[in-house]
Amino acid sequence: MPLPQLAVIVFMSAHDAIKAKNKLEKARIVHELIPTPKEISSECGMSLRIEKPLLNRALELFRTTDLRYRNDLL
Amino acid sequence: MIYFDNAATSFPKPKAVIEAMEDYFFNVGGNTGRSGHRMAIKASELVFNTRELLARLFNISDSSRIVFTKNITESLNLAVNGFLEKGDQVVTTSMEHNSVMRPLRYLEQKGQIKIFTVQANKEGLVDPAVFEDILKKEKIKLVAVNHASNVTGSLVPVDVIAEIVSRYGSSILVDAAQTAGAYSIDVLSDNIDMLAFTGHKSLLGPQGTGGLYVREGIKLAPLVRGGTGSNSEKEIQPNFLPDQLESGTMNIIGIAGLGAGVKYVLKQSVSKIRQEEMKITKMFVKGVGKIDNIEMYGPRDISKRVSVVSFNIPRHAPSMVAYLLDKQFNLACRSGLHCSPSAHKTIGTFPRGTLRFSFGYFNDAAEVEKGLTALIEISRERYSHNKQTEL
Ligand SMILES: Cc1ncc(COP(=O)(O)O)c(C=O)c1O
Repeated sequence: MPLPQLAVIVFMSAHDAIKAKNKLEKARIVHELIPTPKEISSECGMSLRIEKPLLNRALELFRTTDLRYRNDLL
Repeated sequence: MIYFDNAATSFPKPKAVIEAMEDYFFNVGGNTGRSGHRMAIKASELVFNTRELLARLFNISDSSRIVFTKNITESLNLAVNGFLEKGDQVVTTSMEHNSVMRPLRYLEQKGQIKIFTVQANKEGLVDPAVFEDILKKEKIKLVAVNHASNVTGSLVPVDVIAEIVSRYGSSILVDAAQTAGAYSIDVLSDNIDMLAFTGHKSLLGPQGTGGLYVREGIKLAPLVRGGTGSNSEKEIQPNFLPDQLESGTMNIIGIAGLGAGVKYVLKQSVSKIRQEEMKITKMFVKGVGKIDNIEMYGPRDISKRVSVVSFNIPRHAPSMVAYLLDKQFNLACRSGLHCSPSAHKTIGTFPRGTLRFSFGYFNDAAEVEKGLTALIEISRERYSHNKQTEL
């Protein structure tokens, strides 16, 4: 079975990463906090990995808050 | 021991505070923001949660506008030095603690700012109309006020002053050292631009914690620059909160404890804490009023004060009374100038100082009774005639 494509959301601050994690948990959207992958950004700190089909739902959820992030495909 | 020195630091702390710190120490361990492993995530969550709890307590809509410091002294230095620029004018009051006064006087001495001081009356109360008079005539960048005096316990009507300040397009910085956790604060309805607080007094957290709320739109220059875990590819300080103003590894274990303290305050509710503290404060003020030879300071009207009461037994030096209370009556309080020379000048107790009892949520009526009995005994004794015990 092919693995679903993954999207990575990179946060400006750990504060936003935790806020996003809480939002996703509440909405029961499967996700994982990971160290930001090198190929995406040289920043350290936290990113969120999510299956691509769930990305739009997650971004919709973030849109109503003032989360500071950018997203990328892995 | 009866502990009446809660204005210096609160004691005891709720058990949950110690448990939260222990839990961090034994079970969490990681640093915040720096790494992506589970221990780091847990640490970041913990700091996030404390920020959210503080946001709930002060009605702050976005908790990223709260930055942690090691105490309110650092918060006030950050606000004063980060906000003011050469040529700015500031309004403050004669009741300020040195943690506001000294950073302001330093900038004044360097010829960078001009200070206008609102004189409080003998009870330590300020008149909001005087702020308006100054704001009408002068271009003021910042109004820095003590929410409640650590000498007289007198409250400043922050909401009334802040409304005036906003009408004149200026900004207000509030020193909430003696009120945060013990008196209701709502940054939105009170129109507060910057709120400085300390973690170890009525927020019931450990020493080494404090913070500053900075309203959206206000930009502060950091006191300290360095690693934040974010924007690491750049050699320039990030320009977003909270990271911009929080360089270096923070006091995570302390912030864990502070979170538990704030949770405790929220659970009890500020209004209940206020009610309980004022009940015993009222009892003490009434009791002291009946003792001959004791002079009490601060507002007679109990609704205009917090649970801090200053007084003097004119025949005895305050330090000697504090010494006797400690040694003979097992009672801890504070004597002297309380880092606030200007406040003592205002109420006429400089340089002698006062004795200060400051009550907390964990004090009770029986302790106040004992305190009053001790004061009656001491006020009758002629200790000051024995030069050797004069400290
Ligand atoms: C009104 C006021 N401001 C500032 C401070 C300084 O607090 P900290 O020592 O926690 O910085 C205190 C307490 O001592 C205070 O009462």
